[in-house]
Amino acid sequence: MAFQRIVVIGGGVMGQGISRVVAATGTEVTLVEQNEELAKRAMEGIGEHMDREIEKWGLTSSEKKAILSRITPKWDVKEAAKVRMVIESIQEDIEAKKALFRRLDEICKPNTVLVTNTSTLSITEIAAASNRPDKVIGMHFLNPVEKIPLAEVVRGLKTSDETFTTIKQFASELGKTVISVSEYPGYVTTRIIVPMLNEAMHVLMEGIAEAEDIDTAIKLGFGLNIGPLSLADRMGLDEVMSWMENLLKELSEHKYNPCPLLRKMVRAGHLGVKTGRGFFKYDEEGNRIREERIDELKTL
Amino acid sequence: MKILVINAGSSSIKYQLINMEDRTALAKGNVARIGMSGAVLTHKPYDRPEVKVSGEILDHIMAIEYVIAILLSENHGVIKDKTEIGAVGHRFVHGGEYFENSILIDEEKMVQLRKCIDLAPLHNPHNLRGINACQKILEGVPQVAVFDTAMHLKMPPKAYMYGLPYKLYKRYSIRRYGFHGTSHYYVSLRAADMLGKPREELKIITAHLGNGASIAAIDKGVSVDTSMGFTPLEGLLMGTRCGDVDPAIILHVMAREELSLHEANTLLNKHSGLLGISGLSSDMKDLMEDADSGGKKAALAIEVYCYRLMKYIAGYTGVMSGCDALVFTGGIGENAPLIRKKSTENLEFMGLKIDDNKNNASIRVEADISAGDATIKSMVIPTNEELVIATDTYELINSGAKQA
Repeated sequence: MAFQRIVVIGGGVMGQGISRVVAATGTEVTLVEQNEELAKRAMEGIGEHMDREIEKWGLTSSEKKAILSRITPKWDVKEAAKVRMVIESIQEDIEAKKALFRRLDEICKPNTVLVTNTSTLSITEIAAASNRPDKVIGMHFLNPVEKIPLAEVVRGLKTSDETFTTIKQFASELGKTVISVSEYPGYVTTRIIVPMLNEAMHVLMEGIAEAEDIDTAIKLGFGLNIGPLSLADRMGLDEVMSWMENLLKELSEHKYNPCPLLRKMVRAGHLGVKTGRGFFKYDEEGNRIREERIDELKTL
Repeated sequence: MKILVINAGSSSIKYQLINMEDRTALAKGNVARIGMSGAVLTHKPYDRPEVKVSGEILDHIMAIEYVIAILLSENHGVIKDKTEIGAVGHRFVHGGEYFENSILIDEEKMVQLRKCIDLAPLHNPHNLRGINACQKILEGVPQVAVFDTAMHLKMPPKAYMYGLPYKLYKRYSIRRYGFHGTSHYYVSLRAADMLGKPREELKIITAHLGNGASIAAIDKGVSVDTSMGFTPLEGLLMGTRCGDVDPAIILHVMAREELSLHEANTLLNKHSGLLGISGLSSDMKDLMEDADSGGKKAALAIEVYCYRLMKYIAGYTGVMSGCDALVFTGGIGENAPLIRKKSTENLEFMGLKIDDNKNNASIRVEADISAGDATIKSMVIPTNEELVIATDTYELINSGAKQA
């Protein structure tokens, strides 16, 4: 079942992580971005991320070299014609994803499997954009991909057993524990974590406790290794908000209504680790700057 | 009879075809990058130049097919027909407490082999893959498994128990197992031959110093203690492995640096040892060159390496209440006179004394390098694990597979 080469479309944080994890198992990856500059930036991102891992002793320099040598950056979606598996990881927007799958369906060989890394959108709806809904499936990784040993494999209404088995096998070869999920907005992970993050933001907004203390309480109180506000910063506050909006749209439940503080921060461009500022401050390498608290948060 | 020796790793297979009539290798080679692009087979017949063949080698079965094909090929082959391969001997890293001897593999033994997977998840599954592949391609040819751990299984409980709750031994079989068994066995046998005495009358310390390194105390032919433990991480300093450390350090660093299990694991296995201390290289040759030109950290790494080795040599001499011979083997043991010298220089008081000229002259050859007045012999013996595997395989199928 080994795939010699696969194509990953979208070189953001998730696309970078997926490319790197796949390349680490020996499979060649073509990472496709919209233009040369973005493709180059994605490769740099992968390299820098691995440098931080080396500093943390999770990886060796020779392993990094081997992994990078198996990832080829490209900027033409037609690359997808050459492989038997394409993994999509572009922005979390149903129209964009549908357009891409329509295009992939035209480009790809008839037996190529099309995988989406969406965390909230409907696989069935994405699949309907193609003429091969039996070969469309969701494989949801969590960030950072190389560290979180879980993959949610999500079947759309028409996904075939064969496609499901292939992807389940592929994900376990990446070292992930696979849980299978029937299509329903948010699956298991996003559906359960998002209301918790949102509630932590409400607690902060209502002045019940400081950000640091909220995280400490949940971390120590429930034996988690990260607090909800740090986690939201790491995920990207714009991402968190778009998941909530998708869940709200699909399920029409009040509990998925994004906290006003979240909306404000996204509008202000404080998106978390990636912009250096969210509920906490971060340096260029993404490490917490611990000394000062961000008192301005209250004045937002 | 000709015996194929297989050492299967995660993405590589090393092989040798050994002719048991004169115990020499007809061909040796390896398949690298199995399941990846750019897979390549490197093959060296004993009488012709090395060849490289690349191809799409997707799994261990295809790799074994390639090996058989090249052994049979007109230009590079060494046999005319598949049936000339009388048996296959497999290296199997961790046999747990099940296997004290090499075994002829059958259905029932395969079940037991699978039970050992948990003990060495990095090695055993690949060894099993190699066995499965050979069973498919060389159907009906006897397959034998030879264990890295078997040589050490007769070690007494006082040497293999850790100071941990006994429950852990019962529950997870946590104890010292030791590794490099075939190498320690081979060089101790050769040492006895060179000394002209039966192994049963000798106390021998064998130091296998390669990328991984371990040392064993072999009393009357029985390995009574060895430096590697539950995994190959314990004991001597190695290329990238730390060897002995205070276990609390790991917990401390994990907490301080917020390391995951995976990160802690690679820290100890891939970023430590000679590489970790020197910050330069895991290769002893590089470190000796750098130390020569004034490199302080390289010199320190060498010091730590030799100091720890010396402690084990002295300790094992005590354990056996004496020692007749100390054997150096493995890449560093066979090639580095400086290390042999430095790791024994304080031990003259107990009769271990190296002759500098003999030491410096003995590179990758069997040699006695002791000084004239030494009471403990120092020897260099190049190891040959493949020959041990082939010999065990040969003896096992000829004896009708009664052992184990």
